[in-house]
Amino acid sequence: MTLPTTDALKGIYQTSMIIRRTDERLLSMLAAGQARMTYYSPRGQEVISATVGALLSDDDYVVTIYRGLHDHISAGTPLGPLVAEFLGKASGTCSGKGGPMHVTYPEAGMMVTTGIVGSGLPIANGLALAAQMRGEDRVTVCNFGDGASNIGAFHEALTLASLWKLPIVFLCQNNLYSEHTAYELHSPVDSVASRGAAYAMRSVTVNGNDPDEMWAAADEAIRHAREGGGPTLLEAMTFRLRGHTYGDGGSYIPKNQMADAVEADPVPGLRARLLREGLSEADIVDLESEVDRVVNDALQFAIDSEEPDISELRTDVYSSEVFA
Amino acid sequence: MAEVRVPKLGMSMTDGEIVEWSVADGDHVEAGQIIYSLATDKVDSDIECPASGVIKIIGDVGVNYEVGAIIAEISEDEKK
Repeated sequence: MTLPTTDALKGIYQTSMIIRRTDERLLSMLAAGQARMTYYSPRGQEVISATVGALLSDDDYVVTIYRGLHDHISAGTPLGPLVAEFLGKASGTCSGKGGPMHVTYPEAGMMVTTGIVGSGLPIANGLALAAQMRGEDRVTVCNFGDGASNIGAFHEALTLASLWKLPIVFLCQNNLYSEHTAYELHSPVDSVASRGAAYAMRSVTVNGNDPDEMWAAADEAIRHAREGGGPTLLEAMTFRLRGHTYGDGGSYIPKNQMADAVEADPVPGLRARLLREGLSEADIVDLESEVDRVVNDALQFAIDSEEPDISELRTDVYSSEVFA
Repeated sequence: MAEVRVPKLGMSMTDGEIVEWSVADGDHVEAGQIIYSLATDKVDSDIECPASGVIKIIGDVGVNYEVGAIIAEISEDEKK
């Protein structure tokens, strides 16, 4: 079992803060009526993807869902074009035609973002199968939420992945709410990881908000996949600190549960950890100032960018151009 | 100065009605603080303030506004 070094923890904190600040800016733009996209905040889940991102190589593949900003950033998608895509601008990763639900940036391995719960898993199998057939050592990390574990595609994908020993990590970010429904009201089993037994799949549950636990489990799962050992169902426990989507105030979340989760917010928790590891307050403030600069630049780039031209409607539809 | 416009709270939302302001005209407000409640055909939502400063309320309670309509402005505190 390996644990993150202080340098690795610093990197995880930096990525987590880029996610946090970008999320804050997007929520503020939505509240001010300056942005009009459907937005699913990843607040509270940053440490999971920041840790996984630190462990993946440039060649590895990532699949995620509409609550994907943290996964997009951690996979290495450049922040300016990423935010531009969220805002529907021509300079976005998909020329503004994908939006938050369909971010794709293959250059960083950010292969697919899906808008349908559970639909990413069979696609991730395809990516992993391609790598396996070509003899490449790339690993596919497929992110999804607890709600997806009740979808048929989850069970179909796990069956084939286990049977074919695909190089994949099924990363369930269990934030305890499937849209507006609490975990215990939608799932008959105590943990998502326990489902893996039905498919003879290596399965682990960890506290995803703890960078040590997350690092150790993700490192082992990625290594296992890369070395031909097959898939892992890795369940990372976390909590969604915002409603399902922007505009959902989360009135169905018990107040004490939310208060406890805010108290245990993993991002300030990691900051305190860095201080205990010996970083000075000044070191951390420097890092945070750099994060602010990066996020401000990206937001400004996106805000200043043009909307896509109407002719864009005919591009990226088929492999050949569509003529008017 | 920051403008506060009616946000789009869902794919199909086109307009919303201000149910109540939780702050008064001229109050100091903080980014992230709940400043008003907005009703749409689907849901009532508490809306957070996008910036810190002194608020000038423009939108009236009980009136329906289109998404994007300016309903308040926030200017920087003079004291700071």
